[in-house]
Amino acid sequence: MIASLLPAISPGTLLSAAVASTAGSLWLLLPRGQTGTAERASRWLGALLGVAALACFIATGHRLGGLGEEAVFLLVSLVAVVSGAATVVSRSPVYAAIWFAMTLAGVAGVLLVLGAQFLGVATIVVYAGAILVMFLFVLMLAQPAGLAPYDRVSNEPLLSAVAGAVLLGVLSLSIGRLTAEPAACCTMPSKASLAAAAAGPATAADPAAVGQAGDALANDHVARLGAELFGRHLLSVEVAGVLLLVALVGSVAIISRSGASDAGPSTTGRTAP
Amino acid sequence: MTPAPLVLDGLVVGAILFALGLVGILARRNLIVMFLCAELMLQGISVSLVSWSRHHGDWGGHVLVIFVLTVAACEAAVALVFVLQAFARTGRLDAAAWQSLRESNLPRTVDHELPAVDTVPPTFPRLTPAGVEPAVDEDALLEREHV
Repeated sequence: MIASLLPAISPGTLLSAAVASTAGSLWLLLPRGQTGTAERASRWLGALLGVAALACFIATGHRLGGLGEEAVFLLVSLVAVVSGAATVVSRSPVYAAIWFAMTLAGVAGVLLVLGAQFLGVATIVVYAGAILVMFLFVLMLAQPAGLAPYDRVSNEPLLSAVAGAVLLGVLSLSIGRLTAEPAACCTMPSKASLAAAAAGPATAADPAAVGQAGDALANDHVARLGAELFGRHLLSVEVAGVLLLVALVGSVAIISRSGASDAGPSTTGRTAP
Repeated sequence: MTPAPLVLDGLVVGAILFALGLVGILARRNLIVMFLCAELMLQGISVSLVSWSRHHGDWGGHVLVIFVLTVAACEAAVALVFVLQAFARTGRLDAAAWQSLRESNLPRTVDHELPAVDTVPPTFPRLTPAGVEPAVDEDALLEREHV
Protein backbone atom coordinates (compact mmCIF):
# COMPACT_ATOMS: atom_id res chain seq x y z
CA MET A 1 0.00 0.00 0.00
CA ILE A 2 2.75 2.39 0.96
CA ALA A 3 4.68 1.42 -2.12
CA SER A 4 1.71 2.17 -4.34
CA LEU A 5 1.40 5.58 -2.73
CA LEU A 6 5.03 6.33 -3.52
CA PRO A 7 5.52 4.94 -7.00
CA ALA A 8 8.22 7.43 -7.94
CA ILE A 9 10.67 6.40 -5.23
CA SER A 10 13.09 3.72 -6.38
CA PRO A 11 13.58 0.67 -4.17
CA GLY A 12 17.23 1.54 -3.66
CA THR A 13 16.36 4.94 -2.27
CA LEU A 14 13.71 3.42 -0.07
CA LEU A 15 16.11 0.84 1.27
CA SER A 16 18.78 3.44 1.89
CA ALA A 17 16.28 5.56 3.76
CA ALA A 18 15.26 2.55 5.82
CA VAL A 19 18.84 1.73 6.70
CA ALA A 20 19.72 5.32 7.54
CA SER A 21 16.65 5.80 9.70
CA THR A 22 17.30 2.55 11.52
CA ALA A 23 20.82 3.66 12.32
CA GLY A 24 19.63 7.09 13.42
CA SER A 25 16.89 5.68 15.61
CA LEU A 26 19.22 3.22 17.30
CA TRP A 27 21.74 5.99 17.90
CA LEU A 28 19.06 8.15 19.44
CA LEU A 29 17.72 5.34 21.59
CA LEU A 30 21.05 4.25 23.01
CA PRO A 31 22.18 5.85 26.27
CA ARG A 32 24.70 8.58 25.59
CA GLY A 33 25.04 10.23 28.96
CA GLN A 34 22.42 12.95 28.63
CA THR A 35 19.79 13.68 31.28
CA GLY A 36 16.33 15.11 31.78
CA THR A 37 14.44 16.69 28.91
CA ALA A 38 17.17 16.02 26.39
CA GLU A 39 17.04 12.31 27.08
CA ARG A 40 13.26 12.18 26.86
CA ALA A 41 13.23 14.16 23.63
CA SER A 42 15.85 11.96 22.01
CA ARG A 43 13.96 8.84 23.08
CA TRP A 44 10.73 10.06 21.50
CA LEU A 45 12.58 11.14 18.37
CA GLY A 46 14.32 7.77 18.22
CA ALA A 47 11.03 5.91 18.57
CA LEU A 48 9.47 8.00 15.80
CA LEU A 49 12.44 7.39 13.55
CA GLY A 50 12.24 3.69 14.33
CA VAL A 51 8.62 3.59 13.23
CA ALA A 52 9.61 5.39 10.04
CA ALA A 53 12.36 2.85 9.47
CA LEU A 54 9.93 -0.03 9.92
CA ALA A 55 7.55 1.59 7.45
CA CYS A 56 10.35 1.97 4.92
CA PHE A 57 11.31 -1.67 5.34
CA ILE A 58 7.74 -2.82 4.91
CA ALA A 59 7.43 -0.66 1.80
CA THR A 60 10.61 -2.11 0.34
CA GLY A 61 9.81 -5.63 1.44
CA HIS A 62 8.29 -7.08 -1.66
CA ARG A 63 10.67 -5.31 -3.99
CA LEU A 64 13.82 -6.60 -2.34
CA GLY A 65 14.31 -9.53 -4.72
CA GLY A 66 17.70 -9.19 -6.34
CA LEU A 67 18.38 -5.81 -4.81
CA GLY A 68 19.71 -6.60 -1.38
CA GLU A 69 20.86 -10.09 -2.22
CA GLU A 70 24.30 -9.26 -3.53
CA ALA A 71 25.02 -6.74 -0.79
CA VAL A 72 24.05 -9.24 1.87
CA PHE A 73 26.12 -11.92 0.18
CA LEU A 74 29.12 -9.59 0.12
CA LEU A 75 28.67 -8.80 3.81
CA VAL A 76 28.33 -12.38 5.05
CA SER A 77 31.10 -13.70 2.83
CA LEU A 78 33.39 -10.94 4.13
CA VAL A 79 32.53 -12.02 7.67
CA ALA A 80 33.26 -15.66 6.80
CA VAL A 81 36.53 -15.00 5.01
CA VAL A 82 37.95 -12.47 7.48
CA SER A 83 37.17 -14.59 10.50
CA GLY A 84 38.41 -17.68 8.69
CA ALA A 85 41.74 -15.95 8.22
CA ALA A 86 41.68 -14.94 11.88
CA THR A 87 41.02 -18.59 12.81
CA VAL A 88 44.13 -19.64 10.98
CA VAL A 89 46.43 -16.93 12.31
CA SER A 90 45.22 -16.62 15.91
CA ARG A 91 47.98 -17.34 18.38
CA SER A 92 45.70 -18.56 21.12
CA PRO A 93 43.69 -21.70 20.24
CA VAL A 94 40.75 -20.41 22.24
CA TYR A 95 40.61 -17.28 20.11
CA ALA A 96 40.94 -19.49 17.03
CA ALA A 97 37.89 -21.45 18.17
CA ILE A 98 35.90 -18.27 18.78
CA TRP A 99 36.87 -16.89 15.38
CA PHE A 100 35.80 -20.20 13.89
CA ALA A 101 32.39 -19.68 15.46
CA MET A 102 32.28 -16.32 13.68
CA THR A 103 33.25 -18.07 10.44
CA LEU A 104 30.37 -20.46 10.98
CA ALA A 105 27.99 -17.55 11.35
CA GLY A 106 29.28 -16.09 8.07
CA VAL A 107 29.07 -19.44 6.28
CA ALA A 108 25.53 -19.92 7.54
CA GLY A 109 24.69 -16.50 6.09
CA VAL A 110 26.26 -17.46 2.77
CA LEU A 111 24.24 -20.67 2.70
CA LEU A 112 21.07 -18.73 3.47
CA VAL A 113 21.69 -16.29 0.62
CA LEU A 114 22.46 -19.19 -1.71
CA GLY A 115 19.04 -20.64 -0.93
CA ALA A 116 19.96 -23.41 1.48
CA GLN A 117 17.89 -22.37 4.45
CA PHE A 118 17.94 -25.72 6.19
CA LEU A 119 21.68 -26.11 5.82
CA GLY A 120 22.33 -22.63 7.15
CA VAL A 121 20.39 -23.39 10.30
CA ALA A 122 21.91 -26.87 10.55
CA THR A 123 25.40 -25.40 10.32
CA ILE A 124 24.72 -23.17 13.29
CA VAL A 125 23.05 -25.91 15.31
CA VAL A 126 25.44 -28.76 14.58
CA TYR A 127 28.74 -26.93 14.19
CA ALA A 128 28.50 -23.97 16.51
CA GLY A 129 26.21 -25.71 18.94
CA ALA A 130 27.84 -29.11 19.23
CA ILE A 131 31.17 -29.52 17.48
CA LEU A 132 32.65 -26.18 18.48
CA VAL A 133 31.60 -26.64 22.10
CA MET A 134 33.34 -30.01 22.04
CA PHE A 135 36.50 -28.30 20.78
CA LEU A 136 36.27 -25.75 23.56
CA PHE A 137 35.84 -28.48 26.17
CA VAL A 138 38.95 -30.26 24.95
CA LEU A 139 40.82 -26.95 25.00
CA MET A 140 39.68 -26.41 28.56
CA LEU A 141 40.98 -29.85 29.52
CA ALA A 142 44.24 -29.76 27.66
CA GLN A 143 45.40 -26.23 27.10
CA PRO A 144 48.22 -25.05 29.35
CA ALA A 145 48.02 -21.61 30.90
CA GLY A 146 49.40 -18.86 28.73
CA LEU A 147 50.77 -19.17 25.23
CA ALA A 148 52.62 -22.40 24.57
CA PRO A 149 55.80 -22.11 22.48
CA TYR A 150 54.30 -24.33 19.79
CA ASP A 151 51.46 -21.84 19.44
CA ARG A 152 53.91 -19.04 18.72
CA VAL A 153 55.75 -20.70 15.85
CA SER A 154 54.57 -22.19 12.59
CA ASN A 155 55.63 -25.15 10.57
CA GLU A 156 57.21 -23.73 7.37
CA PRO A 157 55.01 -20.62 7.31
CA LEU A 158 56.30 -19.29 3.98
CA LEU A 159 55.90 -22.55 2.09
CA SER A 160 52.45 -23.16 3.57
CA ALA A 161 51.23 -19.69 2.69
CA VAL A 162 52.59 -19.98 -0.85
CA ALA A 163 50.94 -23.37 -1.26
CA GLY A 164 47.60 -22.05 -0.09
CA ALA A 165 47.83 -18.95 -2.28
CA VAL A 166 48.75 -20.98 -5.35
CA LEU A 167 45.85 -23.34 -4.72
CA LEU A 168 43.52 -20.38 -4.37
CA GLY A 169 44.84 -18.88 -7.62
CA VAL A 170 44.34 -22.10 -9.54
CA LEU A 171 40.85 -22.52 -8.15
CA SER A 172 39.88 -18.94 -9.01
CA LEU A 173 41.27 -19.35 -12.52
CA SER A 174 39.22 -22.46 -13.11
CA ILE A 175 36.14 -20.82 -11.61
CA GLY A 176 36.63 -17.79 -13.85
CA ARG A 177 36.85 -20.07 -16.86
CA LEU A 178 33.37 -21.38 -16.10
CA THR A 179 31.82 -18.23 -17.54
CA ALA A 180 33.96 -18.27 -20.66
CA GLU A 181 33.21 -21.67 -22.09
CA PRO A 182 29.77 -23.19 -22.53
CA ALA A 183 29.77 -26.17 -20.24
CA ALA A 184 27.91 -29.32 -21.09
CA CYS A 185 26.03 -29.18 -17.82
CA CYS A 186 24.26 -26.00 -18.83
CA THR A 187 21.76 -27.91 -20.95
CA MET A 188 19.80 -29.05 -17.94
CA PRO A 189 16.18 -28.04 -18.40
CA SER A 190 15.59 -26.72 -14.91
CA LYS A 191 18.35 -24.17 -15.05
CA ALA A 192 16.55 -21.38 -16.88
CA SER A 193 13.66 -21.49 -14.48
CA LEU A 194 16.11 -21.58 -11.60
CA ALA A 195 17.75 -18.39 -12.82
CA ALA A 196 14.36 -16.78 -13.20
CA ALA A 197 13.40 -17.81 -9.69
CA ALA A 198 16.69 -16.63 -8.24
CA ALA A 199 16.18 -13.21 -9.74
CA GLY A 200 13.17 -12.73 -7.52
CA PRO A 201 9.45 -13.20 -7.80
CA ALA A 202 8.95 -9.61 -8.94
CA THR A 203 11.06 -10.10 -12.05
CA ALA A 204 10.06 -13.65 -12.91
CA ALA A 205 7.93 -13.58 -16.00
CA ASP A 206 5.59 -16.51 -15.42
CA PRO A 207 4.85 -18.02 -12.04
CA ALA A 208 4.67 -21.52 -13.47
CA ALA A 209 8.39 -21.49 -14.25
CA VAL A 210 9.10 -20.59 -10.64
CA GLY A 211 6.84 -23.27 -9.28
CA GLN A 212 7.98 -26.24 -11.34
CA ALA A 213 11.70 -25.76 -10.94
CA GLY A 214 13.67 -27.80 -8.45
CA ASP A 215 15.09 -24.59 -7.08
CA ALA A 216 16.25 -24.10 -3.54
CA LEU A 217 14.16 -21.02 -2.95
CA ALA A 218 10.87 -22.87 -3.01
CA ASN A 219 8.39 -22.35 -0.25
CA ASP A 220 8.31 -25.95 0.92
CA HIS A 221 12.09 -26.11 1.05
CA VAL A 222 12.51 -28.46 3.99
CA ALA A 223 9.75 -30.78 2.84
CA ARG A 224 11.33 -31.22 -0.58
CA LEU A 225 14.80 -31.60 0.89
CA GLY A 226 13.48 -34.24 3.24
CA ALA A 227 11.71 -36.04 0.41
CA GLU A 228 14.97 -36.11 -1.55
CA LEU A 229 17.00 -37.19 1.48
CA PHE A 230 14.68 -39.98 2.59
CA GLY A 231 13.73 -40.98 -0.95
CA ARG A 232 16.73 -41.27 -3.21
CA HIS A 233 19.31 -41.25 -0.43
CA LEU A 234 17.61 -43.46 2.13
CA LEU A 235 20.40 -46.03 2.20
CA SER A 236 22.95 -43.27 2.72
CA VAL A 237 20.97 -42.01 5.69
CA GLU A 238 21.08 -45.48 7.22
CA VAL A 239 24.80 -45.72 6.63
CA ALA A 240 25.29 -42.28 8.20
CA GLY A 241 23.36 -43.42 11.26
CA VAL A 242 25.55 -46.49 11.58
CA LEU A 243 28.61 -44.27 11.19
CA LEU A 244 27.45 -42.00 14.00
CA LEU A 245 26.86 -44.99 16.24
CA VAL A 246 30.27 -46.46 15.46
CA ALA A 247 31.96 -43.14 16.15
CA LEU A 248 30.15 -42.80 19.46
CA VAL A 249 30.98 -46.32 20.62
CA GLY A 250 34.54 -46.07 19.34
CA SER A 251 35.35 -42.83 21.08
CA VAL A 252 33.85 -44.04 24.36
CA ALA A 253 35.82 -47.29 24.07
CA ILE A 254 39.10 -45.51 23.39
CA ILE A 255 38.73 -42.98 26.19
CA SER A 256 37.46 -45.48 28.77
CA ARG A 257 40.24 -47.99 28.22
CA SER A 258 42.87 -45.34 28.95
CA GLY A 259 40.96 -44.05 31.98
CA ALA A 260 40.60 -47.50 33.56
CA SER A 261 44.33 -47.81 34.17
CA ASP A 262 44.85 -44.80 36.41
CA ALA A 263 41.51 -44.27 38.14
CA GLY A 264 39.07 -46.91 39.25
CA PRO A 265 35.33 -46.32 38.99
CA SER A 266 34.92 -46.27 42.78
CA THR A 267 37.05 -43.15 43.37
CA THR A 268 34.55 -40.54 42.33
CA GLY A 269 34.27 -36.99 43.48
CA ARG A 270 32.00 -37.73 46.43
CA THR A 271 34.81 -38.90 48.69
CA ALA A 272 37.13 -36.02 47.91
CA PRO A 273 38.15 -33.97 50.95
CA MET B 1 24.72 -19.48 -20.91
CA THR B 2 25.92 -17.80 -17.78
CA PRO B 3 25.48 -19.47 -14.40
CA ALA B 4 22.76 -18.43 -12.01
CA PRO B 5 23.52 -15.32 -9.96
CA LEU B 6 25.87 -15.68 -7.01
CA VAL B 7 26.99 -19.16 -8.07
CA LEU B 8 30.48 -18.04 -9.04
CA ASP B 9 30.73 -15.86 -5.94
CA GLY B 10 29.80 -18.82 -3.79
CA LEU B 11 32.45 -20.95 -5.48
CA VAL B 12 35.06 -18.25 -4.87
CA VAL B 13 34.13 -17.99 -1.20
CA GLY B 14 34.34 -21.76 -0.89
CA ALA B 15 37.74 -21.78 -2.54
CA ILE B 16 39.03 -19.06 -0.22
CA LEU B 17 37.85 -20.93 2.87
CA PHE B 18 39.37 -24.15 1.59
CA ALA B 19 42.73 -22.49 0.90
CA LEU B 20 42.74 -20.82 4.32
CA GLY B 21 42.08 -24.15 5.99
CA LEU B 22 44.85 -25.76 3.97
CA VAL B 23 47.32 -23.11 5.08
CA GLY B 24 46.29 -23.69 8.68
CA ILE B 25 46.67 -27.46 8.41
CA LEU B 26 50.12 -27.08 6.92
CA ALA B 27 51.44 -24.32 9.14
CA ARG B 28 49.94 -24.61 12.59
CA ARG B 29 51.39 -26.97 15.18
CA ASN B 30 48.62 -27.06 17.77
CA LEU B 31 46.62 -30.22 17.19
CA ILE B 32 43.30 -28.59 18.03
CA VAL B 33 43.93 -25.65 15.72
CA MET B 34 44.81 -28.12 12.99
CA PHE B 35 41.45 -29.81 13.43
CA LEU B 36 39.72 -26.44 13.43
CA CYS B 37 41.36 -25.75 10.09
CA ALA B 38 40.15 -29.11 8.79
CA GLU B 39 36.64 -28.02 9.74
CA LEU B 40 37.28 -24.75 7.92
CA MET B 41 38.10 -26.72 4.76
CA LEU B 42 34.87 -28.67 5.20
CA GLN B 43 32.99 -25.38 5.40
CA GLY B 44 34.54 -24.28 2.12
CA ILE B 45 33.48 -27.56 0.54
CA SER B 46 29.94 -27.07 1.84
CA VAL B 47 29.68 -23.61 0.31
CA SER B 48 30.95 -24.97 -3.02
CA LEU B 49 28.48 -27.85 -2.98
CA VAL B 50 25.55 -25.57 -2.26
CA SER B 51 26.68 -23.25 -5.07
CA TRP B 52 26.75 -26.14 -7.53
CA SER B 53 23.36 -27.25 -6.29
CA ARG B 54 22.03 -23.78 -7.03
CA HIS B 55 23.66 -23.89 -10.45
CA HIS B 56 22.09 -27.19 -11.40
CA GLY B 57 18.81 -26.61 -9.63
CA ASP B 58 18.72 -29.96 -7.87
CA TRP B 59 19.16 -31.23 -4.35
CA GLY B 60 22.32 -33.28 -4.71
CA GLY B 61 24.60 -30.67 -3.19
CA HIS B 62 22.32 -30.08 -0.26
CA VAL B 63 22.12 -33.79 0.54
CA LEU B 64 25.90 -34.08 0.28
CA VAL B 65 26.35 -31.20 2.71
CA ILE B 66 24.10 -32.98 5.19
CA PHE B 67 26.37 -36.01 4.99
CA VAL B 68 29.42 -33.75 5.30
CA LEU B 69 27.92 -32.44 8.54
CA THR B 70 27.39 -35.98 9.79
CA VAL B 71 30.88 -37.13 8.96
CA ALA B 72 32.33 -33.95 10.45
CA ALA B 73 30.57 -34.66 13.73
CA CYS B 74 31.92 -38.23 13.80
CA GLU B 75 35.39 -37.05 12.83
CA ALA B 76 35.45 -34.40 15.52
CA ALA B 77 34.38 -36.88 18.20
CA VAL B 78 37.00 -39.48 17.33
CA ALA B 79 39.74 -36.96 16.59
CA LEU B 80 39.26 -35.09 19.85
CA VAL B 81 39.49 -38.37 21.75
CA PHE B 82 42.81 -39.01 20.03
CA VAL B 83 43.95 -35.48 20.82
CA LEU B 84 43.14 -36.02 24.47
CA GLN B 85 45.09 -39.28 24.42
CA ALA B 86 48.05 -37.57 22.78
CA PHE B 87 47.91 -34.84 25.41
CA ALA B 88 47.79 -37.41 28.19
CA ARG B 89 50.93 -39.07 26.82
CA THR B 90 53.08 -36.05 26.08
CA GLY B 91 51.56 -33.23 28.10
CA ARG B 92 51.54 -31.05 25.00
CA LEU B 93 49.17 -30.33 22.14
CA ASP B 94 52.16 -30.09 19.85
CA ALA B 95 52.17 -31.96 16.55
CA ALA B 96 55.97 -31.97 16.67
CA ALA B 97 55.85 -34.03 19.86
CA TRP B 98 55.06 -36.96 17.58
CA GLN B 99 57.81 -36.35 15.09
CA SER B 100 59.39 -39.71 15.77
CA LEU B 101 56.63 -41.00 13.46
CA ARG B 102 57.98 -39.00 10.53
CA GLU B 103 59.61 -40.41 7.42
CA SER B 104 63.19 -41.49 7.95
CA ASN B 105 64.61 -39.12 5.31
CA LEU B 106 62.95 -36.00 6.70
CA PRO B 107 64.81 -33.57 8.94
CA ARG B 108 63.90 -33.24 12.57
CA THR B 109 61.89 -30.24 13.77
CA VAL B 110 64.14 -28.22 16.05
CA ASP B 111 62.63 -25.62 18.35
CA HIS B 112 64.68 -22.49 18.77
CA GLU B 113 64.59 -20.27 21.81
CA LEU B 114 61.74 -17.80 21.48
CA PRO B 115 61.84 -14.25 22.76
CA ALA B 116 59.70 -13.84 25.83
CA VAL B 117 56.24 -12.41 25.39
CA ASP B 118 55.86 -9.11 27.20
CA THR B 119 52.09 -9.09 27.12
CA VAL B 120 50.21 -8.16 30.24
CA PRO B 121 47.99 -10.93 31.58
CA PRO B 122 44.35 -10.32 30.73
CA THR B 123 42.14 -8.90 33.43
CA PHE B 124 38.79 -10.53 33.89
CA PRO B 125 35.77 -9.03 35.61
CA ARG B 126 35.15 -10.14 39.16
CA LEU B 127 31.77 -11.36 40.30
CA THR B 128 30.74 -9.79 43.57
CA PRO B 129 29.51 -12.40 46.03
CA ALA B 130 25.78 -12.26 46.50
CA GLY B 131 23.83 -13.43 49.55
CA VAL B 132 25.19 -15.26 52.54
CA GLU B 133 26.43 -18.80 52.75
CA PRO B 134 23.79 -20.86 54.54
CA ALA B 135 24.68 -22.74 57.69
CA VAL B 136 25.42 -26.32 56.70
CA ASP B 137 24.15 -29.09 58.93
CA GLU B 138 26.84 -31.76 58.84
CA ASP B 139 24.55 -34.52 60.11
CA ALA B 140 21.99 -33.83 57.41
CA LEU B 141 24.73 -34.09 54.77
CA LEU B 142 25.76 -37.45 56.15
CA GLU B 143 22.18 -38.69 56.13
CA ARG B 144 21.67 -37.67 52.53
CA GLU B 145 24.85 -39.40 51.38
CA HIS B 146 23.27 -42.41 49.66
CA VAL B 147 20.05 -41.01 48.27
